[in-house]
Amino acid sequence: MSALHRTLQFAVFTLIEYLRSGRIMVEALATAAAFYLLFRRWTTPMAPEYFFSTVGLFTLGLTFYTGSAILALGDRPPGYVLLARRLGRGPYLLGLYTAILAVTWGVYGVICLLVAATNPVDGLDLRGWLLGTAPLLLNLALLAALLTLLSPIVLPAPWRLAVLALVALAFSGSLIGGPTMASLPAPVAVGLDVLRTVLSTPLLPAFTGFAISVSRDYSGVSIAIPVAQLFLVIGMLALAVYTFARRELIFSS
Amino acid sequence: MNVIEIEDVHKAYEDVAVLRGVSLHVMRGTVYGLLGPNGSGKTTLIHVMLGFLRPDRGTLRVLGSNQLQRIDGRVGYVPERLRYHTRYTAREYLHYLGRFSNLSGAALSSRINAELGAVGLTAVADRQLSTFSRGMLQRIGIAQALLSEPELLLIDEPTSGLDPGGQHDVIALLDRVRTRGCTIFMATHFLDEAELLCDRIGVLHAGRIAAETEMHRLRGPGGSVVITVEALPPGMAEMLASFSPAVRCIGQEITLAPNTPALQARVLRALLDGGVAILSLVPQHRPIEEFYLRAVRGEKAPDRASQAMEPSPDAIVPPPPGPSGTGDTLLRELLSREEGRQRSEPESDA
Repeated sequence: MSALHRTLQFAVFTLIEYLRSGRIMVEALATAAAFYLLFRRWTTPMAPEYFFSTVGLFTLGLTFYTGSAILALGDRPPGYVLLARRLGRGPYLLGLYTAILAVTWGVYGVICLLVAATNPVDGLDLRGWLLGTAPLLLNLALLAALLTLLSPIVLPAPWRLAVLALVALAFSGSLIGGPTMASLPAPVAVGLDVLRTVLSTPLLPAFTGFAISVSRDYSGVSIAIPVAQLFLVIGMLALAVYTFARRELIFSS
Repeated sequence: MNVIEIEDVHKAYEDVAVLRGVSLHVMRGTVYGLLGPNGSGKTTLIHVMLGFLRPDRGTLRVLGSNQLQRIDGRVGYVPERLRYHTRYTAREYLHYLGRFSNLSGAALSSRINAELGAVGLTAVADRQLSTFSRGMLQRIGIAQALLSEPELLLIDEPTSGLDPGGQHDVIALLDRVRTRGCTIFMATHFLDEAELLCDRIGVLHAGRIAAETEMHRLRGPGGSVVITVEALPPGMAEMLASFSPAVRCIGQEITLAPNTPALQARVLRALLDGGVAILSLVPQHRPIEEFYLRAVRGEKAPDRASQAMEPSPDAIVPPPPGPSGTGDTLLRELLSREEGRQRSEPESDA
């Protein structure tokens, strides 16, 4: 059995357990609530920009929950029995990741079907839907990959804190603004600025991907954004698998 | 040939040293019992063998390989505390685990049915594991470990947390597993199961193998023994007492102190020939317990060859294999007579 086959097998195994554990009810209830509050038919037709921005934010939020819940399922002692077999650590981690994607992409699919059936988006044809969907799903994949990389089974606590600190620094532009920067000594301000620029570069595909999803405008270099998202996903997953394969395996008890 | 070769393995969690120079070897086809109190590092050693943990120092070869992450599939693992995915039925669980061991199709179905039958869970194969008792869970654990017909079985605390009935079932099951020729490495802190199942035992204490011995050395006769009989016919007590001053008969109990192979054989022969029903034969101290306690107390006596151990007879059931003249043949004869008597009783009742 190939690594891909083993990954898919383990993803199915994880999904069945996730469904039977009842945790999926959170997604089901959240989806129902989101549909009722955000996407059901109101007085005016729903604009494509509203739909993609709203569903994009909702599914991103849901990915945090689903990712944490499924990764927690993988971080339990029964995993030892699986990893003592020929499953392999790579397929184990990627199987968890695939299960996260299956749930979050599935929720997105359900919302789209419900919207199409009950409250179609004004002026959105299949092509427009595909153009908006691709970067949106890649953004979910990106967040799921980041959660996988930051999960306790992959990175030990000090490393997780370090990565989170770097992410916080990349986002710090909105918190440490002009007046604060101006009050800092010049070398510190310049250094911080450079650091922010460097660290926020990997976040660029995520933000621009969200913008493209809403606008569905692939003119100019925008066409490269989904490709960049995809490479970022692959890069993060490769780093996660590499780290997981080399670290000592101590599941949470 | 050694299936497990461990030399001077050290392992620490942060600053806490758990293994401090463990060395041991396990021969193919044998059952090795790793004894030790809770927290002595037994599970850590098994996880090092499975490649889950890396030793800080020392060398390990399992099934001839030091690439421990690549021996999966040739090793069956039964974890402690019954940690399984309980939202599956027994059959589903074995199906998935079989797939992860590169089994599929009819071969997998056949293996699943065989193992469910072997552990006595065929009737509940389609029940979810969450409804299983602890004893049943342990049996499914053994079934999953045997699914891919491993060369080596690593078992962590097989009867921990089970009630006496569950313990008995699991021990009986493992006793059947050992006849398959699979090498078994078993970590436990229960001396009974080690006594019944193991060919060789080692005591892990203070991060090292504090003592190691072959089980047959602890099973041989010696020390003192009390034989309880239904009733002694007139003159039998005097006859037995005439064999040796070591024989004392009080009521239904015959004490041999000190016991010797020849004396025990002679007394048992006399009892059998006299048609006396023997109710039990119990050694007055448990050599394995003494061996273990000496090891964890750091006393010198149980050296690795166990030369200094005082041998002693084991309980009458099951009769242990032993060298000639130890009374082993007599015990077997006694058992077979007893079994014959039990078989004939229902017939005569009818």
